Amino acid sequence: MNELLNVRNLKVIFPTERGIVRAVEGVDLHVKPGECIAIVGESGCGKSVTSLAMMKLLSSPPALMQADEMTFDGKNLLQLSEKQMLDIRGKDMSMIFQDALTALNPVMTIGRQLDEMFMRHTNMTRKEAMSASINALHLVGVPGPERRYFDYPHQLSGGMRQRVLIAMAFAIKPKLIIADEPTTALDVTIQAQVLDVLRKLQKENGTALILITHDLSVVAHMADRVYVMYCGKIVEHAPLRDLFTHPKHPYTQGLLSSVPHLSDESNRFVQIPDNVPSPLKKPSGCYFHTRCAYCTQECKERMPRLTDIGGDRMLRCHHPLGGE
Amino acid sequence: MGKGYVFKRILYTLFIFFIVITLNFFIPRIGVEDPAERYYPAQGNMTDVEYEIIKQLTREQYGFDVSTFQQYLRYLKQLLHGDLGTSMQAGSPKVIDLIAERVPWTLVLSVSTMLIGVVFGILIGAYAAWKRGGWLDNAVLSASTITTALPGFFLALLFSLYMGFEWEWFPAYTDPNLVSSFDWSLDAILNVMQNAALPIIATAIGSIVGYAQNTRNSVISVSDEDFIITARAKGLSNETVLYKHVLRNAMLPIVTSLGMSVSGLIGGSVVIEQIFNWNGMGTLFLNANNTNDYPLMMGIMIFLSGFALLANLVTDLCYSLLDPRVKLGGARR
Repeated sequence: MNELLNVRNLKVIFPTERGIVRAVEGVDLHVKPGECIAIVGESGCGKSVTSLAMMKLLSSPPALMQADEMTFDGKNLLQLSEKQMLDIRGKDMSMIFQDALTALNPVMTIGRQLDEMFMRHTNMTRKEAMSASINALHLVGVPGPERRYFDYPHQLSGGMRQRVLIAMAFAIKPKLIIADEPTTALDVTIQAQVLDVLRKLQKENGTALILITHDLSVVAHMADRVYVMYCGKIVEHAPLRDLFTHPKHPYTQGLLSSVPHLSDESNRFVQIPDNVPSPLKKPSGCYFHTRCAYCTQECKERMPRLTDIGGDRMLRCHHPLGGE
Repeated sequence: MGKGYVFKRILYTLFIFFIVITLNFFIPRIGVEDPAERYYPAQGNMTDVEYEIIKQLTREQYGFDVSTFQQYLRYLKQLLHGDLGTSMQAGSPKVIDLIAERVPWTLVLSVSTMLIGVVFGILIGAYAAWKRGGWLDNAVLSASTITTALPGFFLALLFSLYMGFEWEWFPAYTDPNLVSSFDWSLDAILNVMQNAALPIIATAIGSIVGYAQNTRNSVISVSDEDFIITARAKGLSNETVLYKHVLRNAMLPIVTSLGMSVSGLIGGSVVIEQIFNWNGMGTLFLNANNTNDYPLMMGIMIFLSGFALLANLVTDLCYSLLDPRVKLGGARR
């Protein structure tokens, strides 16, 4: 099947005074039209940088980006000029950010901010843009969109603001939306509502979605396939069900078992020992070996390759769980 | 903008002004037993009886013949009629007339300085932030170190010494007949411009650097905000993002500092005016102080603080037009 987005060997580094931060180290990923993939990992594993890199939104300097391939919708993003990228951003590929309060301009009404999307990418007049914006607000379930159009971001609740961002991202019906922690800043109940809106719009419009999150319940709710990222590298890739039922990488297993279950009577949180290594001082060999229960001498010395293990799964581990 | 908010701000300003007037009335009276004695010190060739008569006349003339509280009420009434009092200078000129005579000359300096500072400062600052780490950015940073470390009068003295006395580019010392001979003719205006050049240059440099640095910092901090990435992710060009999203937000702190400097516009600068012999408000105040001209000093104080309060009020109201979040009187939801 034709891929909508294909990224091979994406690398992003940030040269700093204390050394080079390798935020993303050779990420491969692909997205088919209309599917939802999730990129999962702890804070600082390079998820957000990856998403910004795919829209070529990393400001350089300081960031330096490199990739063997980055094609989107038949276009080679690596060769497009900034001017050509401007026509893709927002129109074919758009983004939903984590904290809707800071992601919206505080001194501009949400209506105006939505209008910008239509005015930039269609030939609508101001009036047409306004009714399109009100309609977009209506679609994401903002009550009284005609009045809300004139509200400033601080006058809306967190859930409403997030809906506005979703409306903005879907405004031009893009082929791909990258949602960076879209519900992290919200209450659990609001989270579910917002995810439902996101899912509904995604299915209706046949939009492909890259969901970036650390929240596995969100992943289970939304994604078709999952990439697990650790320290700037993909460590495991699998279809949703396989990943949740048979995780092969010890890190994935750790992430899954750190979600508390009601049936658990031990009253203790299972956690992955130790912290994420500093991006300035990554361990030798497999980056996860310092925190891995199955670590051997080989893991300390050699970084495992990301290998295809069949069943649309990829794994980067010397000692996969549950046998080879 | 909520009408209630505006009304509250105006009431608040009036209240503060009332406190200023009250303090301004009572502070000069602290520790003064008989003001008449201060105004009219005893001369050697007077008898005690004569001196008593003179003091009594002085008290009556300046209204010290009633209790302090009655004086206060009278003072308030007088202010309500827009009368700032009578100076003790020869000829008993009205304080308001003396101020009105000096204000335009002070404004010539301060307004030109501020305009130069704001226009060049904001342009330079925005450009420095745009090319962060470029030569202009570094120049602004070093310049601000210099202008904060060196007192303004020192720069002024340097300019006076070199551009005025050594190289004779501009008059180092203002023409003493500048004010009296001014008649709105082209020659007179050119003469004013030439005489004002040095004091303006001397003060404008600090002003430009100040605004440039404020603008630079503000633009940079706004550029790092999340909503700027949102705007760029919409496919807006860098210029659109700069004009529509960055500058509008970056202007908020600039408006505050602009408002603060507007309130200083008519105060003039005692030091700069002395260095260049400029006949503005600063000199008027200094002379009032040196000659113990209390009514004049008090009148100037009231006038300046009233203007400052008004400027603050206008700034506050403008701010709430620019930033919708302060509409509710500072409370954010």
